[in-house]
Amino acid sequence: MCLSRFSASVTMAKVQVLNVAVLDNPSPFGNPFQFEITFECMEDLPEDLEWKIIYVGSAESEEYDQTLDSVLVGPVPAGRHMFVFQADAPNTGLIPESDAVGVTVVLITCTYRGQEFIRIGYYVNNEYTDPELRENPPIKPDYTQLQRNILASNPRVTRFHINWEGCAERMEDSENVDPASNSMLPPSCLPGKAPPLGLLPDNSMDCL
Amino acid sequence: MKLLKPSWVSHNGKPIFSVDIHPDGTKFATGGQGEDSGKVMIWNMAPVLREEDEKNENIPKMLCQMDNHLACVNCVRWSNNGLYLASGGDDKLVMVWKRAAFIGPSTVFGSSSKLANVEQWRCVTILRNHTGDVMDVAWSPHDVWLASCSVDNTIVIWNARKFPEMVTCLRGHTGLVKGLTWDPVGKYIASQADDHSLKVWRTMDWQLETNITKPFSECGGTTHVLRLSWSPDGQYLVSAHAMNNSGPTAQIVERDGWKTNMDFVGHRKAVTVVKFNPKIFKKKQKNGGSPKPSCPYCCCAVGSKDRSLSVWLTSLKRPLVVIHDLFDKSIMDISWTLTGLGILVCSMDGTVAYLDFSLDELGDPLNEEEKNTIHQNIYGKSLAITSTEAQLSTTIIENPEMLKYQQERQNAAQAGSGPGGAGLESTAPKLNSVMNGESLEDIRKNLLKKQVETRTADGRRRITPLCIAQLDTGVKQSLLLTSASKIEPMKALDSRFTERSKATPGVTAVISSTAGLTPLDRLKWRTSNKEETSSDSEDKMAAINKNLSFTKRKADLLMDGGEVVEKRKKGRPRKDKMATPISQPFTQPSRAAATPAPVAALKLPTPSIQKAFSLQVSMEPSVFLEVENDVSVVAGSKLSQLRCSRDGREWDTLLPSSVVTAAGSSDVIAVACEDRMLSVFSSCGRRLLPAIQLATPMSALHCSSHFVMALTAGARLSVWDVQKQTALVKNESLLTIMSGADTTVSQSLLTQQGVPVIGLSSGKSYCFNSSLETWTLIADKGDSLVQCADFRSCLPSHDAPVSSGPLAVMQGRNLNAGRLASRLSSTPHHLQQSMTLAFLENQLAAALTLLSAQEYRYWLLIYARFLVNEGSEYRLRELCKELLGPVHKSAATAWEPTTLGLRKRELLRELLPVIGQNLRFQRLFTEYQEQLELLRNK
Repeated sequence: MCLSRFSASVTMAKVQVLNVAVLDNPSPFGNPFQFEITFECMEDLPEDLEWKIIYVGSAESEEYDQTLDSVLVGPVPAGRHMFVFQADAPNTGLIPESDAVGVTVVLITCTYRGQEFIRIGYYVNNEYTDPELRENPPIKPDYTQLQRNILASNPRVTRFHINWEGCAERMEDSENVDPASNSMLPPSCLPGKAPPLGLLPDNSMDCL
Repeated sequence: MKLLKPSWVSHNGKPIFSVDIHPDGTKFATGGQGEDSGKVMIWNMAPVLREEDEKNENIPKMLCQMDNHLACVNCVRWSNNGLYLASGGDDKLVMVWKRAAFIGPSTVFGSSSKLANVEQWRCVTILRNHTGDVMDVAWSPHDVWLASCSVDNTIVIWNARKFPEMVTCLRGHTGLVKGLTWDPVGKYIASQADDHSLKVWRTMDWQLETNITKPFSECGGTTHVLRLSWSPDGQYLVSAHAMNNSGPTAQIVERDGWKTNMDFVGHRKAVTVVKFNPKIFKKKQKNGGSPKPSCPYCCCAVGSKDRSLSVWLTSLKRPLVVIHDLFDKSIMDISWTLTGLGILVCSMDGTVAYLDFSLDELGDPLNEEEKNTIHQNIYGKSLAITSTEAQLSTTIIENPEMLKYQQERQNAAQAGSGPGGAGLESTAPKLNSVMNGESLEDIRKNLLKKQVETRTADGRRRITPLCIAQLDTGVKQSLLLTSASKIEPMKALDSRFTERSKATPGVTAVISSTAGLTPLDRLKWRTSNKEETSSDSEDKMAAINKNLSFTKRKADLLMDGGEVVEKRKKGRPRKDKMATPISQPFTQPSRAAATPAPVAALKLPTPSIQKAFSLQVSMEPSVFLEVENDVSVVAGSKLSQLRCSRDGREWDTLLPSSVVTAAGSSDVIAVACEDRMLSVFSSCGRRLLPAIQLATPMSALHCSSHFVMALTAGARLSVWDVQKQTALVKNESLLTIMSGADTTVSQSLLTQQGVPVIGLSSGKSYCFNSSLETWTLIADKGDSLVQCADFRSCLPSHDAPVSSGPLAVMQGRNLNAGRLASRLSSTPHHLQQSMTLAFLENQLAAALTLLSAQEYRYWLLIYARFLVNEGSEYRLRELCKELLGPVHKSAATAWEPTTLGLRKRELLRELLPVIGQNLRFQRLFTEYQEQLELLRNK
C-alpha cells in the first residue's frame, strides 16, 4: 500500500459564509425559523452542501438538542449565492419545562462531504411578552405566549479545517491541490487509514 | 534614523524566518512557523510607517494569512511586478500566491476586524521538485525565472512565465544550499551553501561561472540561512557567513574577476543575511559645499546571529550604524523598501523591526536614468536594468545605439498614448451581477418564495441557491461593528458554539471569534463597473479616432499621388524630377476587338488620326509637342509637321505621313505615323534612328528617358534603348498575359529605367522582364493578399515620402492594402501575418523587376519593419546578410554591392534603426552594426 504524506488535502475553505440575516425576528415561539444565508464559493462544488438548524433545548445536555431541519443546497457553482433556510419551530414536547423560558442557543451548521466546516451560533431569548406572565410564569410553559428573540447582532462563528477534496483514495489524480499535514486529517475521513506518523516514508513524493 | 518594533506583527510568538516588502511599498509578507503548519502572513505597511494609521482601528494591520504550508516557511519573496508572492518551506514545496481578486469574502463573517482577511491570496501553483526543505527563493530581474534552493543540495530554476515548468536544476553544491541572489543585470545567479562554497552560475547556459571557497573554509554549518546579496550596480556580491582570521565576516566578491579582497568585519557571530539597498546613492549636496561630484555608492544591511544589525555604505570604511540587541535571537531576514529609505528586519524571536533612514543619512538616491548611466560607465556598454518591454524585459541592452532606438521607441509610445492614455488600471475582475437589474432588496423579499426547492430521491429537501454574483470585485467592504450585546456569557451554552455534535466528531476549532453581523443591505454591492466601461469606451473611441485620422491621412497621400498625375496632364510645370511615366488612356475598345478571337486576331485599339494635337511630354525641362497633319501637299504626298518647344527653344520637322501618335521625354521624341513608321528624334530635333517599320499600326507609344516603347495593334511590344541603339524587348506578344475573354489593355507605361508595364482590364499589371525574357506580374488589384495584408503599423510615420513610381501608378489609389484587414479580425493572426509577408515580398520583387529604386527602398523599409514587429528573425537575418554581402572581397563572390543603383550597405544602415526597435534582435543589430563599422573603417 502506498502511504503518501499527501494523501489528505486540506485547502483553504472553498466556501465562505458572508452573511446570515435572521428573518422574522423577534417572533412568536411557534413561528418557523428563517435564516437568509449568503455565501461565496471559490470554485464549482461537485457535491451539495448540507445545512442544519439545531435547537439547543437545554444547556445542560446535548440530549435535548433538536435538529429542526437539514437541507441540501446545490448545485453550487463558483460565485456568490443566497438562500433562505426555513425550519419549523422546535417540538415543545422535547424541551425540558425548566428550560423553556430564558436564554438558549440555536446553531446553524454546514457540512461538505460529511465534514462540518462552519458553525454559526446565536443566543435565543425566549420570554413572555405579557408583563403579568413575565412576573409570574406558569409552571407548565405556555408556548403560545412565548416570544422568541434571536440575538442576531451577535453571532458566534466557528470554522473548521476540512478536507475539501474528499477522501484519501481520490487524491491520486489531484496534482495541484494544496497539501496539508496529517494533523489536519479529520478523523471522520477514513479513520484508521491514516498512517501513523512514525511510519511515514521520508520522501513520500515518489508515491504521487 | 528612526527605529520601531511593531508588536502586532507576530506569528503568535513563533519564529519569523522571512520578511519581504511588496514592491509598491504598501504591504509586506512574513513567513515562519504557524500553529501546526507553516505560516505566511501579509501585513499592511501603513500602520508601520505612520503612527496615526497604527492607532486607527479602521485601518487593518493584517491583510491575509495562509496556513497552506505543511511546515515552517523559510522564505517569502514578492515578484518584481508585485503580482505574485513565492514562499518556500520545510515541506519541500514552493508555493506561488496570487491575489484572488474575484473571490473571497471582503469581510469574514463573524470574526473581529483584526482577524479578517482583508485581502485574499490564493495559492496558484505548487512547485514540487525539491526533496528537502526549501531555504530560499528568488525572482530573477523582470520575473522571468524563480529560483529555489534546498537542503537537498540543489537549486531549481522555474519558468516563472509557465509554472510549474522547470527550466533547470543546478547541481554542484555538496551541502545544504541556504541562499540565493540574482545578478541585477540578469547574467548570473549566486548561491551559498553549507559546503563552504559560494557558486556563481551563468544564466546563459546554466553552467558554473565560478566557485569561491577560500573565505568559507573555516565556516561551520551553523546558520539557519545564508542569504547573500548582489549590489544594485552589479559590481559586488556580498556573501553571508564567511570567516577571516577566525572572525565572522561578510565576504565582498568583486564581479571583475570574482576577487575576494574585501569583507565586512565586526559581527561577533556568523552573518545570516546580507541585503543591498535597491538604490544607488550619491552624496547629499549641502548648501555651500563644494559641488565636486562624489562617487556613487551602495548601501548594504548585514544581519547576524549575534542579534545585531549593521548598515554599511560602500563609501565608508566603517558601518553607518550598528544596532545591538535589537532582538532576542538571530536575525533571519532583511527587506528594504523600494525607496531605499526603510528596512524591515525579522528575527527568530518572532518579532520584526522597522528602521527609517533619512536622505541626510544615506544620501541622494539616484534615479533610474542615473543608474543606467552608471552601468554604461561601468560596463562600457549600456546594461539597462530599467525594465523595457514586458516580454523582452529580460534582455539586456548591450549596445548604446540599441538603447537609443529603444528609448526613442518608448518615448514615441508614451507620446502616442497621449493624455489620459489608460494604463493598466484596475486589473481586478469585475463583479458580474446576475441579478438582471433587480435590486437586492427585491430579491431578498421574495427569496423564500422564489427559491427552487426540490426533494431528493431519499426525500430530503434540496434548495438551489440563488446565484447573486458570479465574480467578486474584490472591493473591500468595510466591516460594520455593532455594539456588543450585553448578555451575560453563559458558559454552559458557550461551549456549545464550538463543540461539534457527536455526529461529526471533531477536529479542533481553529477560528473562533465574535463580531457583529454586517447587514447585507449595507454591503457595497455597486461596483465601479460603469465608470470602467465608460473609460474603456473612451479609449476605444480614441483608438478609433486615431485610426480614422490615419486612414484619412493615407487617403490624403493617395490623393496627392493622384494630383501629381493630374497636374501633369494639365501640363503645369512641376519641380519634380522624378517624372512619372506618362500613361495614356485608351479609347474604349470596340466590342469587336474585345470578343474572343483567334490568337492571331488579338487586336489592340489604335488612336484615330486627328487633324492636330499637342501634348506636353516633359516638365523639367518643359517640352511641348505640337502635331499638325496635312499641312501641305508636296508632290502628291501629304506632309505633317511636328513642332517641339523645349524650354522656349523651338524646332520643327516634317514627316511624310499623318502622325497618329506622338510621345516624348526630356531626351527623345517619338512619333508614329499612319504608314506604320516610327521615327525617333533627339530633344533638339535631330533624327536619332532611321524610321522603324512596324508590322501593325501603333496602339500606344511611350518615351521615357532614352527609352522608346511601342505597343502595336497586333498586341506586340517592343522597347528600344535609343542611346545604345539596342532592343530591350523584341516584338514580344501580349498573348501570354491577355488570355482572358474580355481582357483588354487599360494602361501601358514605360518606366524611367526602360521597363514596359501593361495594365489589363482584369486589374492585373505585368511588366516584361528583359533579363528573364518573360512577363512578370507586378500588381493585381483583386489579389486577396492586397486586400488582407495589414502592414499599416509598419508604414513610415511621417518623414518618408509616400512611394511614387511605376508600382504605385499601377496599383494606384486602388491599393487598399489593409483596408479589409480590420474586417478580417477573425482571421487568425498567423494567417494575416503570412498574407502580409507574402504581399510585402511581392511588392519588393515587383519594385525590383520594375527597376524602381525608390519604391524598392520604400517597401524594403516597410518589409523590414514588419519583420521586426513580427519577430521573423530568420528572414531578417537573410535580408541583412544579403545587404551586407561578403566582408572580405574575393573574386569568387557574385555579390553585387548595389541594387537598382542603391548601395546595399547604405540600405542596411537604414534598416539598423528599425531592427534596433525590437530588443529581441539586439544580437543581430550589434552583429551587423559592428560589421558595417568595420567595413567603413576599411
